[in-house]
Amino acid sequence: MVKQQDAVFRQAYPAPPYWVARFDLPHPPGPGGFVLADLGGPLREALFPAAIDANGFAAMLPPRHAATRLLPGATVNMLGPLGQGFRLGDATRLLLVAEAAFLPPLLPLLEAVPAVALVIEAPTRAQLPPPDRFPPAVELTLVTCDGSAGYLGPLESTDPAPANLERVTPRLVELIAWAECACFACASDRYPALAALVRAARIQPAPDFAQALVQVPMPCGVGACEVCRINTRAGEKHACTDGPVFDIARTFAPSL
Amino acid sequence: MIELAPRHKFGLPIASPVMPAAGAFGYGDTYHDLVDLRVLGALVTNPVSLNPREAARGQRIAIHGEHNAGCGFVAHTGLPNPGVQRVLRQQRQIWERLPIPVIVHLIATTPSETARAAERLSGVPNVVGLELGLIDSITVQRALNLLAAAQAEGDLPVIVRVPFGSVDALAPRLAEGGADALTLTAPPRAVLPASAVPEDEAPRHYLRGRLYSPALLPLLLNILARWCSKLPIPVIACGGIASLPDAIACLELGATAIQIDALLWRDPAILQQIAEGLAKFDTSTISE
Repeated sequence: MVKQQDAVFRQAYPAPPYWVARFDLPHPPGPGGFVLADLGGPLREALFPAAIDANGFAAMLPPRHAATRLLPGATVNMLGPLGQGFRLGDATRLLLVAEAAFLPPLLPLLEAVPAVALVIEAPTRAQLPPPDRFPPAVELTLVTCDGSAGYLGPLESTDPAPANLERVTPRLVELIAWAECACFACASDRYPALAALVRAARIQPAPDFAQALVQVPMPCGVGACEVCRINTRAGEKHACTDGPVFDIARTFAPSL
Repeated sequence: MIELAPRHKFGLPIASPVMPAAGAFGYGDTYHDLVDLRVLGALVTNPVSLNPREAARGQRIAIHGEHNAGCGFVAHTGLPNPGVQRVLRQQRQIWERLPIPVIVHLIATTPSETARAAERLSGVPNVVGLELGLIDSITVQRALNLLAAAQAEGDLPVIVRVPFGSVDALAPRLAEGGADALTLTAPPRAVLPASAVPEDEAPRHYLRGRLYSPALLPLLLNILARWCSKLPIPVIACGGIASLPDAIACLELGATAIQIDALLWRDPAILQQIAEGLAKFDTSTISE
């Protein structure tokens, strides 16, 4: 049931390239779910949890986001929990794949199963989060699109890599073959190509084997406003109520 | 009861002057967890066309000001909907069970399409009226043709939602032409930068769409002050209404009812607060 809840803002602090904002909330959203927070602007803002506990959640936001200007103890009205989040089932090997700017909603999954591999892509080294921020047990693969650190991106590229650089795509295909569940957080327009990559690694992926989080504006959160409609193989869907987590192969894969 | 269509043979009585505006509230019980529908006068549905329409491509919303700090936003959805037949399949039973009557907002494209859609909505249980949505650049004659088409093939009262910039030209002619009520107004067209902060050296994009903002209220009140007393049919006020005092001002200036538009996305409870506030407010003190 969707409800309006009053959250209490606790603190905000920098964790480059993000800011962390911590809220106490009686019913926080699960991984991939979201709340719509009234931060004083003309529209509510979707907050995805980057960490969740019994008392509330923390969101990782861009610097200068309205939430980072709240005073500790401030009450923030939130609508939610909303949306269909990640569904890990009985998976014990989890692959997480994200563009750095879209990574925070995947962070609650870092310790959700015994074996986790994380692939993070950024345009350049400076936009990658520091590796020591992640649990040591997580197998980390860093990707930059300019080759300044880690593998060469983008994730879905099959172009030959220049000398001294290694393209990430074969590594990603290996990890998809290894995983029992894969969760993606990227710009939505990249999902058809990433879905094709999943299909290349897994001929007939099981339902929900690979899931994609769609992060688009969702002003109402209940499917009324039609702003968050996305194109899928089964026609248009509402990101806010049908997602924001979708089965990537069944939703975005190009028709066979 | 408040009568929205006194000239129509069946009338269009509603119990409360508060309604959601087309495009803000979905087709049926989308907001049932958050709003007690019983306090509303009617449900005005999201826009429906005869044939299915897909959503607009690309960015659909732009907010004024950096980091959501401005006073309004522009939205351009393309009025996506599955078409009148599918809406009826999906919503007919829901509408029948709703505790309030339903007014279907019809996207008026051509007279023939409008007539066919109106015919299909005629006789649907609990659908008590149509609200015609017009394009902004419409001529008086074309608006009258669309109104006539909606009335010719159906027996429902027809409310016309008048484009913001065309009130002076259209409102008196539509009233003379047989409209049962007018919604003043549809949100104005506007343009905002697609992103508040310019991104590097890339050319900046702009989004054209409809403007939603509490700052529209004074403009709406100006229109109401100018037209309500001159029109022989009820006026439904719409645009920028965000509080009980806003709603009271609209009624004091002659509106018969009000619609809350996309501003309710931020605070769905505002519908209930305004409806309950108006129920307690002594409307007999409102001067004619």
